[in-house]
Parts: sequence; structure tokens; C-alpha cells
Amino acid sequence: MVDITDLFNMSNPDKDRQDELIRQLAILGIKNPSLCFQCAKCTSGCEAMKLLELQPHSIMASVKTGFIEEVVNSDLLWTCVGCYKCKERCPQEMSPVEVMFILKNWFVASGKSIPGDYQNLLQGILSRGYIQEPLEVLDKNNEKWSREKLGLPSLSQPKNMNGFVSALTELAAEKL
Amino acid sequence: MTKKLGLYLGCLMQTEQYNYEISIRNVIPEFDIELVDLENTSCCGAPIRSINMLMQMYLAARNIAICEEKGLDMYAPCPLGHLSLVETMNRLNSSRELREKIVEKLREKEGLEYKGDSRIFHTVDLLYDVIGLERIKERVEKPIKWRIACHYGCHTIRYTGAGRPDEAEHPSKMGKIIKAIGGETWNYSEKLNCCGGPLMVTHREAALTKTGEKIKAVKDRGFDAIAIVCPYGGRMLDARQDKAASTIGEKLGVPVFYLTQLIGLAIGKKPSELGLNLNLSPVDRLI
Repeated sequence: MVDITDLFNMSNPDKDRQDELIRQLAILGIKNPSLCFQCAKCTSGCEAMKLLELQPHSIMASVKTGFIEEVVNSDLLWTCVGCYKCKERCPQEMSPVEVMFILKNWFVASGKSIPGDYQNLLQGILSRGYIQEPLEVLDKNNEKWSREKLGLPSLSQPKNMNGFVSALTELAAEKL
Repeated sequence: MTKKLGLYLGCLMQTEQYNYEISIRNVIPEFDIELVDLENTSCCGAPIRSINMLMQMYLAARNIAICEEKGLDMYAPCPLGHLSLVETMNRLNSSRELREKIVEKLREKEGLEYKGDSRIFHTVDLLYDVIGLERIKERVEKPIKWRIACHYGCHTIRYTGAGRPDEAEHPSKMGKIIKAIGGETWNYSEKLNCCGGPLMVTHREAALTKTGEKIKAVKDRGFDAIAIVCPYGGRMLDARQDKAASTIGEKLGVPVFYLTQLIGLAIGKKPSELGLNLNLSPVDRLI
């Protein structure tokens, strides 16, 4: 995994990208990352720190100094569990978790291949409205159970699938 | 008087965590709540926040609109779904730009009218704040006498700004419900920790390690079982417990129940009415 700080000497801060990030955060009601004073409380509680070495305060440091592209392309972004502890506990009301969500969105929008299983989840939503189709689950005796066999109603899906997919694909091309 | 709520299930309950859904359908109506099935629903958007947040908010808003068109408040038992919907409602109410973008798209593409003024409940606040401990206590026929660790799940309690069913750092509602149905519970250091669920998409082994560590912590602290209110928790702590155990090289074998299953047992429902045959952790050891 590439450590973000290793890349610092190679480039200059990107003010435009930083302004765009600040704009998008504001739309979501989130304050400017420049207010982060690096107390690292986010990192001390981070669910992905111990196993995957994610340090939300380092991400915030890069972002507030304008090294955006370095973060966008870092594998570390994809280790975030999305538990919201960092947002909950930040004394400055920052939201490292949502800075990371936005920057992951940018990575995807740049056309690079989407990490992990995300492509399948997205494909599932676009083809049937949900991340996966109803599975036949096994009980402890290895007997198979479907929704139907359990007497549950069938999957509730978008009625106008064309309109549904068209809305999502159009939004994918728009900016937050 | 009976309260009517639109039941919004989302992905995991409708596609694999059937035991949560079954126990909800058979237990919640016992407390004068009528659950109305919603047609035309979809994913809540939460699983693809990392991909595109506009898509996430569209998905959340369309499910809200579908329920509002029926004139109903909503019951969303999945914490990820609940957060995605509640948060989107807040955001569309505070940013005119966002609201116009999403609302127009809903109207134009799917003919849906979004208002954003309905209420959305999760299992924890529905049981504790709407139904209330007294009414639950009244119905108890067979007190569960086990020592239960509460696993709230990340999104049931965080983040406060979005308005959550219980407090972020000191959640207590599940524990009070457990005590009301005869169980014993206490705080433990790992109570607020993640089950690892969302990490399965990109880091499978780390996800299962987190699952294993959480279950091991519960076991080491002398609990008999874990209570959950999240289908991702069910997927990890119950269905994948064996895999988690081998990932961290420990024997686990801790029974995991949905809170609605425990209440069902306490009010005298049969295990088959609660989908308990589908729990893969050793629940039979206790019931």
C-alpha cells in the first residue's frame, strides 16, 4: 500500500481540486477541512486503523494542504469501514469519513476500475434494484429456503425499471 | 389505536437475512403496529456511497417518496437503510440545490412525488420510544434468562447529527429491552465496535478478523449470546461466525439472535415463527 506522505515531494498543492472538495462538502453541510487541527482523535478510534493502517487524520492533513490527487489514488481510501466514529468524535465537527466518500466518488468518476466487489453491487442495483438477488439460504441441516418457501412476499422492485436506470445513469455523470 | 407503518426492508433482509424479516413480521404487529408492505422499492443507496453519493441520495429519496405517497410513516429495520434515508431527508431539506436536482429527477423519471416530511423509525426506537418497555413487559410469558451482549451496529447509533435511534457513545435502549424481557446485560469495552460487514466488499479477511474479534470479546466477557438489530450484523456475527472463527484461529460458538427473535421467544412465539431455524450460530443451545 502506498503511504500518502511518500508522495508529497513530487507535486504541488492543487487549489482547484481543493476548492471543489470544499464546495461539495458544503453542499452536504460539512465544514471546510482547513479547520482540522490534527488532534488525531479520528485515528485513535478508527475501525480500520489497526488492521489496515488507515489514518483519517493523515487524509485530512493531505486534503487541507491541497494534496488531493494523492489521496484520490491511494488504496487507503478503500479501507474505510464507514462506521462514522471519526465524524462522531471530531472536536472540530469535521467528517473524515465523508471526505473519503467524496474522494472515492472522484476516483470512480475518473474512469479507473472500481475496487473490490463494488462493480457487482452497482450492477445488481441497475439490473434488479438491489445489490443481489434473493438467495436460497441454507439452515443448519443444509435444507434450502427461498422467500417463497418461507411464505414471504416476493421482492419489491422498481416498477419502471427504464426510468429508474435512466435516473441513476444521468446522476452518475453529474457533479455533487 | 393501531399505528400503521410502511415496512421498508432494503437489500439484505429481502435477499438473505430472512430471519430478521420473519421475526419482525410476526412480533411487531403484536404491539398494535400494522406493517404495510411497500411496492416499487429498491436499495437505499448506502452500499454504493463510495461509488456515487448523488445516486445514493436518489435511491434513498425514491424509497421515502414511495412510502409518503401512501400517506405513511416508515419502519426501516436496517440501520444502514435507516441512516441513508434519514440523512438524505436532512440534506434535501437543507440544500435547495440538492433538493431540486433529486426531486426533479424523481418526478421526471419515475413519476414520484417527494415531500420529505415523514418519520422513519428503526427497530430500536420503534420498540423503546413508540411501543415502550411497559407494553413489552406486560406481554412476557417466558422470560429469557440469558446474559446477552448488545451489538448495536455502527449506523444504529452514529452519527448523532443525522438523528439516530439511540445515543452514539452510551446507547442503552437495547439493554433496557433485554432486561424488560428477563435477560441480563452489561456494558463491555467492545460494545461500540464494528462487525466488519461493510469491509467484505474490499477486504474480506480484515472484515472476518473484525467479526471474530468482536465475538471473541463477547465470549471472553462471559455473555451467553449476542443480540443484534442489523442485517449486516446478522450476516457477519451469525452466518459467517464459523469463517470468522477460523480466520482468527479461535473456537467461538456464540449464539446470535435478532432482538425481535428474543422478544418473540419471551412473548411465547414458537422458534419457527421467528425464523430461528435460519440462524446458523448455535442458538439451539439456549432455546
